[in-house]
Amino acid sequence: MLVGGLLVVVAGLMAFFPSMDDSSSTDWISIPLVGFPIVVSCILLAFASQESRARKEILATPIRLFTLCASLIPLAISTALFFDWLILVDWDLMYNEYALEKEYIWIETIGVSWHVGMDGLSFPMVWLTTFLVPVTIIMTWEEKDGATYHPLLLMMGGALIGVFVALDLFLFYVFWELTLIPMFFLILKWGGKDRRYAAQKFFIYTFCASVIMLLGLITLYFLQPESSGSGYGTVTGRTFDMTVLFSNANAMNMGDNVFLGKEMQYILFAMLMIGFLVKLPAVPFHTWLPDAHVQAPTGGSMLLAGVMLKMGAYGMLRIPIAIFPDALIFYQDIIMIIGLVSLVWGAVVCLGQTNLKRMVAYSSVSHMGVILLGIASMQPIGYAAALFMMFAHGIISPMLFAVCGAFKHHYHSMEIGAMRGMAKWSPFLAVYMMFAWMASLGLPLLAGFVAELMVMIAFWPEYGWWILLPGFVLAITAAYYLWSMQRTIFEGGDEGQPPESLNGETPPDITLPENIGMIILALFTVIFGIFPFIALGMMDDWTVALFEGVFNRGGI
Amino acid sequence: MSDKTVEVFSTDFWQAFAPELVLVFGLVLIFIIPNLGNSKFRIPLTKVKVPWFLGGRRFKLTGSPAIPGMLATATLFTALGMMVIETIDGNSSATTVTSGDVVLLQIDNFSRLFEIIFLAAVLLASMASLDRVPANTFAGKKSLNEMYDNRRQADFYILMLTTALGMCTVALAQDLFVLFVGLELASLATYVLVGFHKESKAGAESGVKYFIVGSVASGIGLYGLSLLYLEFGSLQLATLSANWENGSILGTIALGLVLVGFGFKVSAAPFHFAAPDAYAGANSPVAGVLATASKAMGMIGLVRVLLVVALPGSESDESAVWLYTLATLSVVTMTWGNLAALGSKNPKRMLAYSSVAHAGYMMAALTAVGAWKWGEVDAPAEYAEAIVAAVLFHLFVLVAFKLGAFLVLALLEMEGGASRLSALSGLAKRDPLIGTAMFIFMLALAGVPPLAGFMSKFLVVAGIVSASIGELSTNGSVSFSELHWIWWLALAMFINSAISVFYYLRIGVVMFLDVPEEGRRKPLPYGASIRMAIWICLVATIILGLSGDTLIDMCYRAAESLNLG
Repeated sequence: MLVGGLLVVVAGLMAFFPSMDDSSSTDWISIPLVGFPIVVSCILLAFASQESRARKEILATPIRLFTLCASLIPLAISTALFFDWLILVDWDLMYNEYALEKEYIWIETIGVSWHVGMDGLSFPMVWLTTFLVPVTIIMTWEEKDGATYHPLLLMMGGALIGVFVALDLFLFYVFWELTLIPMFFLILKWGGKDRRYAAQKFFIYTFCASVIMLLGLITLYFLQPESSGSGYGTVTGRTFDMTVLFSNANAMNMGDNVFLGKEMQYILFAMLMIGFLVKLPAVPFHTWLPDAHVQAPTGGSMLLAGVMLKMGAYGMLRIPIAIFPDALIFYQDIIMIIGLVSLVWGAVVCLGQTNLKRMVAYSSVSHMGVILLGIASMQPIGYAAALFMMFAHGIISPMLFAVCGAFKHHYHSMEIGAMRGMAKWSPFLAVYMMFAWMASLGLPLLAGFVAELMVMIAFWPEYGWWILLPGFVLAITAAYYLWSMQRTIFEGGDEGQPPESLNGETPPDITLPENIGMIILALFTVIFGIFPFIALGMMDDWTVALFEGVFNRGGI
Repeated sequence: MSDKTVEVFSTDFWQAFAPELVLVFGLVLIFIIPNLGNSKFRIPLTKVKVPWFLGGRRFKLTGSPAIPGMLATATLFTALGMMVIETIDGNSSATTVTSGDVVLLQIDNFSRLFEIIFLAAVLLASMASLDRVPANTFAGKKSLNEMYDNRRQADFYILMLTTALGMCTVALAQDLFVLFVGLELASLATYVLVGFHKESKAGAESGVKYFIVGSVASGIGLYGLSLLYLEFGSLQLATLSANWENGSILGTIALGLVLVGFGFKVSAAPFHFAAPDAYAGANSPVAGVLATASKAMGMIGLVRVLLVVALPGSESDESAVWLYTLATLSVVTMTWGNLAALGSKNPKRMLAYSSVAHAGYMMAALTAVGAWKWGEVDAPAEYAEAIVAAVLFHLFVLVAFKLGAFLVLALLEMEGGASRLSALSGLAKRDPLIGTAMFIFMLALAGVPPLAGFMSKFLVVAGIVSASIGELSTNGSVSFSELHWIWWLALAMFINSAISVFYYLRIGVVMFLDVPEEGRRKPLPYGASIRMAIWICLVATIILGLSGDTLIDMCYRAAESLNLG
């Protein structure tokens, strides 16, 4: 049976890369960043599933180590690509230009190709994913049934990178849905008490939204002008290739001319946005998120909040905004209102939470609202801020969830009231919690602050005194974070009573793997807070190129 | 395309029909071989006994219960192999069989593709039955050996091959009467197959129910055919197609009646009521054949009657006769199927309702062809061909994952019953690979990429959307109201497939999360050949999703050979 599983994997791989031989230069994306993690995790899962329970226990540590090493390879490659250690990569790109671009024909009849590449929008997210997967593996080192848990995390990472590097709408959608499957299992098998409900709700919500998005994509596909040539389907005469589509749309969006006409743009934009807003998630589509987070295991939460939510923002910035700029201007105020409502609603709901993880989940909703505000501002700095918010939140929120996970691990409870006086029992955890909470509420010199400040700067010229509203929400954010901190870390520590949920045991401090993971995350929060330009430079270039390429035409 | 016309029973005829002849030959072998024994024939009025070999005590080899199954599997495999080799690179010429002026059968890419679907489905089902797997469930008072002695096995496989033969006739038929004969041949065999476990209450009930409802539907369809004959004086597809007029009242009534007949076969609402009972009562491999091959057979009927016969010429721009009817039926079918599947706790009934929903998807696609043809959408024939190709692709890959799901249930029936959802509980823990396979089949049914089910659903929706847009894209700006209303069918289909995720996921949750029920703690029965069949289905589900180019090409060629333009 194992042989059969391997055969399936190998055959699938062969099918993916039909024309690998004729690539002239090395492909640094397809196999090393996407194919390798997915295939390795499939093999490990097929291997581990055949073993008995006792053997699995023995095998867990070697498999964990192997998974960790495997996940370090993409990280090494993406870091090396950034610093030009492997090859000289030109990141100074015009709009609709991509570094390390590769294209292989996949389904010729309908114009689908395995087309991958990276630019200033996708590379930070790719690096973030490759960075988070090993950190998550280290952080959840002691998770039960590690022989299958850690390979799933690796697979999740591969699928997420696939979403960010795809330059073909079909391929994009395939990876978009593929990410659901490992996450579904992470929640289903390692989740909390209501995991059955949460896993199904998570899958169904995002699946429903994405089929609407898919219908929008198909309609867009057939509305584009018919042509023939490389990338175009031999039967349909259309293409799913994003680069071709963007340049076509861009050429037609000149002056008063509008690609497909305004009405069609509005409808298609809305259809695509439904898919992305649910993923983001924005109020009122956010209800799957708190359930999924509260039930998900720590590792699942970290990847879910760290990268998976960003898929929504990434998709928004990648597809609809580039093709339908007029619709974006039409919907600008609505997007602003949705963002503002998400921001306010998320923050206000946070105030009332007693479950620590649920509070953190709602704070994610609130922070995702900031990204929407950045997009709605229609200022270059707002877009750069949105990009940086995606990146900074991608480092900070895993730390928040890691702290929640450590609570769960050591205090067997997630209730804020159940763990008073933590500073006394678990000083390390208290420090990390304070750090993460401060980073999330936007303390200067930490990564979150940069993004929030930039959004505010971009918000002012467009909406004027409305800025008071997000400003006020940031105050609420500070309130709920500080309040929850006060109730967990400090209050009640003097009475010398350990929390009730421990049944009289002495509460332990966090373990070594957790320590390592937290320190890495904290370190990078500080690095990107003090030197934001490391990532921001690339994002800025991309934003400028976007504004020159898409918005810079007569009438806007 | 160099067409060839051969007379019935001429030398060319035998050559062209070699795969079907293999089926007939195999059928005869299954009739004879299990009956070979040591009997002797006494010449009358003498005491001379001549060895006669038919009957008497069976020889050890011929008396083995495994023989009929092996023969059937080998026969089907040979026939399928011959067809695939012939078709995979495109069959350049069509062979038409005539008897005098009457065109009876035609071998072209379309019919060959359907024959491949039928034979593949029946082959996988008969492979899965090789281990005498489903016998345990229904054994009742009889022992396993009694239940499945070689005579009974022979009956089973004779019926399987007859089903395949009847279905092939339907695919080849160029005359509605021949088509009907093939349909009845296949249907009668399936009625018996459904009720094959006559000892059990469920088997007998479902067999009788399926038979009664099926014969009523066939009768109505036949009446429709007779009205067609009355109106046009012929049942030849070519003649009917040339003479078809939209205004004809008798023709319209006949069309409605024929639609009922074929609607039952594809289990379209509201003619689907027998299907869940039949699937639940039949053993799982047979139910799998019903859900895939039998549905494809009904779809041939719909394609032939609706798309070949009942379309006016391409220069005509009259309004639709069946367009609105079929659109309504398709939406009702997919919604009804999905809502009913949501509420069913029996996995077999759930799969039955899901196959009702899938019928709705395919009917929506056919509706789109109608919209193209009636002149409401300005588009060349490639659009219609793309849609038909998508339907063919869908029917083909259904064999992989729907039949695969039924085969997993068949494996569970080996240890007693698969009629409750709890039978599946803990499957992923008891047998991780089979559990994963079942989950992948469910994901494919729901249409999750990159599996074959996504590809087929994608192609169907793309076909509908392309027909609704037509050639609008050539001018730069498009208003939404310019899109044909069939675009909403695509939306309905996607909303429905989103609903369907609920019940497909439920199976996954039960398999991965629940504790196995009492009496099912042991590992699954082994069953080498059924596992092999499941593996074939699984590999096909994945491979056809990842690289379906060859198959898509085959489907396009098949759609082209319909000559819709």
